Amino acid sequence: MMRFLMSFLLALPLLPAGRVDFRREVRPILSDACFHCHGPDKKTRMAGLRLDVKTEAFGARKSGTPIVPGSPDQSLIIKRILHDKPALKMPPASAHKTLTPAQINTLRTWIEQGADWQEHWAFIAPSKPAVPNSSWGNNEIDRFLHARITAAGLTPAAEADRRTLARRASLDITGLPPEPQDVEAFLKDTRPNAYEAYVDKLLSSPHYGEHRARYWLDAARYADTHGLHIDNYREMWHFRDWVINAFNRNLRFDAFTRDQLAGDLLPGGTRDQLIASGFHRNNVTTNEGGVIEDEVAVMYAKDRVDTTSTVFLGLTVGCATCHDHKFDPITQKDFYSMSAFFRNTTQKPLDGNISDTPPVIFLPVSGDEQRWKTIDQDLIQLRGLRGQRADQVAAKAKPELKLPKQYDPVWHLDKIAFSKEGEVKEAPGFNKIQADQPFTVSMWVYYPKPDDNWTLLSQINSKEEDGTKIRGWTIDIQGRQPVLKMVGEFAQPIAARGGNAAKMMPDNWYHIAFTYDGQRRKKDSLELYFNGTRVNHEGKQESSRPALQGSILNNEPLRIGGDGNKRFFKGGSLKDVRIYSRVLSSEEIAVLEMFPRATEGKPVELSRVWSAIKDGESRKLMAKIATTELERKNILRRGAVTHVMVEREDQKPMANILYRGMYDQPRDKVEADVPQVLGGLGSSTQKNRLGLADWLLKAENPLFARVAVNRFWQEIFGTGLVRSSDDFGSQGEAPSHPELLDWLAVDFRENGWDVKRLMRQIVLSAAYRQQAVTTEEKLKKDSDNRLLSRGPRFRMDAEAVRDYALASSGLLVRKVGGPSVRPYQPERIWETVAMDGSDTRFYKQDRGEGLYRRSMYTFWKRSAPPPSMDLFNAPTRENCTVRRERTNTPLQALLTMNDVQFVEAARHLAQRAMETHKNNFDEQLDFLSERLVSRRFEPKERDIIQKSYRDFLRHYDSKPEDARKLIAVGESKANPKLNAPEFAALTMVTNELMNLDEVLNK
Amino acid sequence: MNHENKAVLLETRRQLLGRGIGALALSSLTASADTLPHFAPKAKRAIYLHMVGAPPQMDLLDYKPGMKDWFDKDLPDSIRQGQRLTTMTSGQTRFPIAPSVFKFAQHGKSGAWISELLPNVAKMADDITIIRTMHTEAINHEPAITFIQTGNQIAGRPCIGSWIAYGLGSMNQDLPTFVVLNANHTHPKANVQAISARLWSAGFLSAQYSGVSLRSAGDPVLYVKNPDGVPTAMRRRMLDALGELNQLTLEKQGDAETRSRIAQYEMAFRMQASVPDLTDLSKEPDSTYQLYGEDARKPGTFANQALMARRLVERGVRFVQLYMRGWDVHGNLPEVLPSQCKDVDQALYGLVQDLKQRGLLDETLVVWGGEFGRTIYSQGKLTPTDYGRDHHPRCYSLWAAGGGLKPGVVHGETDEFSYNIVRDPVHIRDFQATLLHLFGIDHERFTYKYQGLDQKLTGVEKARVVKGILA
Repeated sequence: MMRFLMSFLLALPLLPAGRVDFRREVRPILSDACFHCHGPDKKTRMAGLRLDVKTEAFGARKSGTPIVPGSPDQSLIIKRILHDKPALKMPPASAHKTLTPAQINTLRTWIEQGADWQEHWAFIAPSKPAVPNSSWGNNEIDRFLHARITAAGLTPAAEADRRTLARRASLDITGLPPEPQDVEAFLKDTRPNAYEAYVDKLLSSPHYGEHRARYWLDAARYADTHGLHIDNYREMWHFRDWVINAFNRNLRFDAFTRDQLAGDLLPGGTRDQLIASGFHRNNVTTNEGGVIEDEVAVMYAKDRVDTTSTVFLGLTVGCATCHDHKFDPITQKDFYSMSAFFRNTTQKPLDGNISDTPPVIFLPVSGDEQRWKTIDQDLIQLRGLRGQRADQVAAKAKPELKLPKQYDPVWHLDKIAFSKEGEVKEAPGFNKIQADQPFTVSMWVYYPKPDDNWTLLSQINSKEEDGTKIRGWTIDIQGRQPVLKMVGEFAQPIAARGGNAAKMMPDNWYHIAFTYDGQRRKKDSLELYFNGTRVNHEGKQESSRPALQGSILNNEPLRIGGDGNKRFFKGGSLKDVRIYSRVLSSEEIAVLEMFPRATEGKPVELSRVWSAIKDGESRKLMAKIATTELERKNILRRGAVTHVMVEREDQKPMANILYRGMYDQPRDKVEADVPQVLGGLGSSTQKNRLGLADWLLKAENPLFARVAVNRFWQEIFGTGLVRSSDDFGSQGEAPSHPELLDWLAVDFRENGWDVKRLMRQIVLSAAYRQQAVTTEEKLKKDSDNRLLSRGPRFRMDAEAVRDYALASSGLLVRKVGGPSVRPYQPERIWETVAMDGSDTRFYKQDRGEGLYRRSMYTFWKRSAPPPSMDLFNAPTRENCTVRRERTNTPLQALLTMNDVQFVEAARHLAQRAMETHKNNFDEQLDFLSERLVSRRFEPKERDIIQKSYRDFLRHYDSKPEDARKLIAVGESKANPKLNAPEFAALTMVTNELMNLDEVLNK
Repeated sequence: MNHENKAVLLETRRQLLGRGIGALALSSLTASADTLPHFAPKAKRAIYLHMVGAPPQMDLLDYKPGMKDWFDKDLPDSIRQGQRLTTMTSGQTRFPIAPSVFKFAQHGKSGAWISELLPNVAKMADDITIIRTMHTEAINHEPAITFIQTGNQIAGRPCIGSWIAYGLGSMNQDLPTFVVLNANHTHPKANVQAISARLWSAGFLSAQYSGVSLRSAGDPVLYVKNPDGVPTAMRRRMLDALGELNQLTLEKQGDAETRSRIAQYEMAFRMQASVPDLTDLSKEPDSTYQLYGEDARKPGTFANQALMARRLVERGVRFVQLYMRGWDVHGNLPEVLPSQCKDVDQALYGLVQDLKQRGLLDETLVVWGGEFGRTIYSQGKLTPTDYGRDHHPRCYSLWAAGGGLKPGVVHGETDEFSYNIVRDPVHIRDFQATLLHLFGIDHERFTYKYQGLDQKLTGVEKARVVKGILA
């Protein structure tokens, strides 16, 4: 497909009549048909010939000279191309490449015309070319474009009317349709700079940042899950907020780049910049059982090189993972040198299936910011005071102690010892541990010899055959660690496991305690105390929702010493088992743990426990500590983490070249560096990500600025000046307007990397403002509108299609930023692919606001992306994407016609029309059209629409039940006062209009 | 009015670019200059039944009686030859051999040894082609399934169905070209592995070639049903008006895509009729359920989905992919495997015989298999009645039928430990090349230009068509 279009493009006239352009026409042929064997990769080089290097291509050899300027028939390449002996014909049959007659002709003509040669255009730094003279247009963009439009014998289209412009600019700048009142104001604005003012207003809207960010998130491969296997939730949305914010405050593009590549390494770096470094934490990660860590680490490094080179260099450096690049002068060593930048953080290869794989930072919500800064200090202080006070009153302490009422448990077992065979004691009717009630369990445990795994306490239907019907809870020792597990609906558990801080050794007594706050959360509803100290328990798997669902109740008794099936606490013992129906504070649990030693008279414990029971001042401090801890926990709950990069201090960034890219075949060690064809880092640049960022931003870098402006151009016009926006190398496409590209690139850099300014330049150009009308002539000479001989017109991206329906209907909730939400989605999309233990297995749709936010906030599960986005070509976010395609399929039609989101939007818009213009169809129709197409319908259109309305109405009048059903679609309530058949009929009209080609295009 | 405002009808553009309407791949637009198919195809359709988790070959299709004498003996290093193990068993101190507890017998004229767990598949031994020597490099599910379905262990490439849809296009006007099914399994203890939408994704090919899920619950095709309160007649009326309005736009703007969009909406309407017709099993006679088993009446079971697969190919859907999970028998194998097999055995027989009876089998390739094999040594505790098996990439079994394959053939041989291949290895690339070959496609010439490379399903390493299994 691409080659076809490429050759079509090449046919467009470019130079003075008949002059072949080496860079645009010849080099791509040589690259595609010859470089594999006669190019940069010496391992597949044949006959020792390079056609990508001038001296060799023009140098005499034994068999002749490949290219003889002026003499195609003497040129060896032509002789070979036209050779009739199969063994000598080039390209050889085994290469599966054929040169068309047109391509051969191009080569011949080029040689005839003197075979002028240029290095690959993208490796030569741009300089600002002279702007052509032109009578047409508003700025430099227009002058460059006009030159080629007139060269093609075409004239630009007239300027589009204000309504069209208003809609187009609004969609391109904010991704949303314009407000009718803004359109009206623009229409009435008589100032000469009315359009500029309109554009500036859009640029200052916070929705601008959202829209720009959405494109960037494709490049950053942002998603809300880890991406592989269990595909659990990843808390990452602060990164999205950062991107939105960066565009809204118009962060310079160089700082934007530097913050994301090296935000963690900037001297005096801010928290914001640290958040930005999460750019390279967005790649997919895994925790699949059986993975080999080295292999996975290589995979991550490769993703980061691929992403960095695609997004910032427009090069396919990833092609050099296994061998030297076949077409561009990029070596395998270059690839691994680049990978060295990204393999030197403290991040472990396995993500642990948790939402907060280190390194992460915690961000409180804005209301908690101040308190978060001081609370840890406060706790330290309070605990210090508690200790001091205990010391002060120590003299009064006596070991004849009795715990006061507050420590009375609701269930108690004094002591029990189990034989080596193990037995179980049962207590029927126990109901103190349930999913919705807080509890505390504390006990002294004797860890027997020999090692094994045991159940200490449980209430669970362990004999149940059907694994999905297991309900209950157990307190076990597994792997020498205490574990509390609660199992609810779907046999989904939450658990607190000891971890390294709670490792037990045989023949010892330990105090363990678990608390549960009744809130069903995986991460922080459970706490574990080991010998009186709270430990950071493992099983910190987070989900943004409560994880313990349904009931954990069963008909089993409370069992002490086993699980009622196969597991017994053989040879173990328990003492002072206490169960409470509330959450004991850390201070209270410390008291329980210290109590035995206090009664023995041990001084520290004695003073602590005595003061906890008898001293009012101490008890006040204990209460304060408890409330402050709870406050801290709630701050943690309200806030969120985000993933960041943290560079290792103990080693420099290094990598090994890997033979054929295989993780277990390391070869030479290499330092962090950039491709040599681009000059390498040089000795004065740091060999880390900060150095990489600095190098990218140097004026001499031929790619960075071009690649950036090209992508912004692509956002607006649908296709970049370089169509292959992800490949500026030999196999990519040459720019349609090389001088314009260079001018924009240099201009962008020289003017502070100002993105809004660039947007403005594009959107204010006359080219942008043309009518989007195709004529026969333009179809022939500029079929894809690469010359911009008319205004841009193409289907909106997935997010814009949905946002459009929501915004035009009035349902859109315009809140900017925040955690991801869950709008409507057909059932079982997640379940079909997810694993049993995944916390993104069951999709639970939001109610209310979450249904009506902009689409960029839709929760993104990589292994099952939202179908409404997927159907409209949103990428899966499994890897970096800088260019979406635009398909036109019947499944898209079904979506916008039938998806509850769209039908509800149609109904809501119809409702507003009817409420605003009672009983006047024409006015209602205008209300609809102003919001959907920013204009009024012409008589022909009105006629068609009205006729359909009448037919709808006739049906709904005769079948009012249908009307009632239709207007009930969606969560929002339909206005019951409106006449149902009319309401339904107008909903159908709105549904019809929302599917207009005009609506789906921008 | 200047001529800029005179828009152009689509005809000119269509003549110019030869592009047809709809989501069809026309062979004239493939990257290679050749037209497809490259030579006369045998298969026009395929039903690929992927058993997610990897069925154990030595308990089903690769009979190793010699292993009885090796019960609880360690796998010799001379056999293992340094094969890398997953971290699930690499920490084991022993690798005790677990012979299969299931009986095997020979079947059909071919004399193929098939386990008692697949009695109905065994009945049709002479209709199928068994490959015992499939092999791969991947040792874990995600990369391995991605590998066999897309040709690479790392996500992002088109799957087999998408390549076929792209290369050969649709055979019908009313249904998607490439459909994906999912089947449930019965045993609650079966180990379920993840799959992902990437397995039916079109990767860098145009998204119109992605697999479309046909669901057994809710909307069979997403969004195919009109909303409550919108009967077909009203939808039709709306489309009529929409078409007229879009026609005006087409005349005003002259954008070819508008004409295409009008056509897509019409196709959508046709799908709204063809999909219910497809999923309505009420007209299937009782004999169908005798053939596939009564489970075929229950939506979502393997038998039901196999029946759906037949109905799909019967209606001209070119590529059907079915995923069934639960085969990852790391433990509890003697308990779980019979249940998994029971879920599929009769329906597999039913499907192949059904296709045969309808004269479709010759042109429909049916494939059954997983993403790698399993180890002869036990994972976890080995007892005479219980064992599990870890992943094993070096050899595994798969069977296929129809579509130009030679029936009643067993291809390849593994060593007595079902650990190494002794004769006739078939890398999954080779299998993919063979599959394409059956469709009349030369895998080396069937390319798509992406990132400067002529990409192939079979990738850049060498792949050969397995001539020995071609009819």
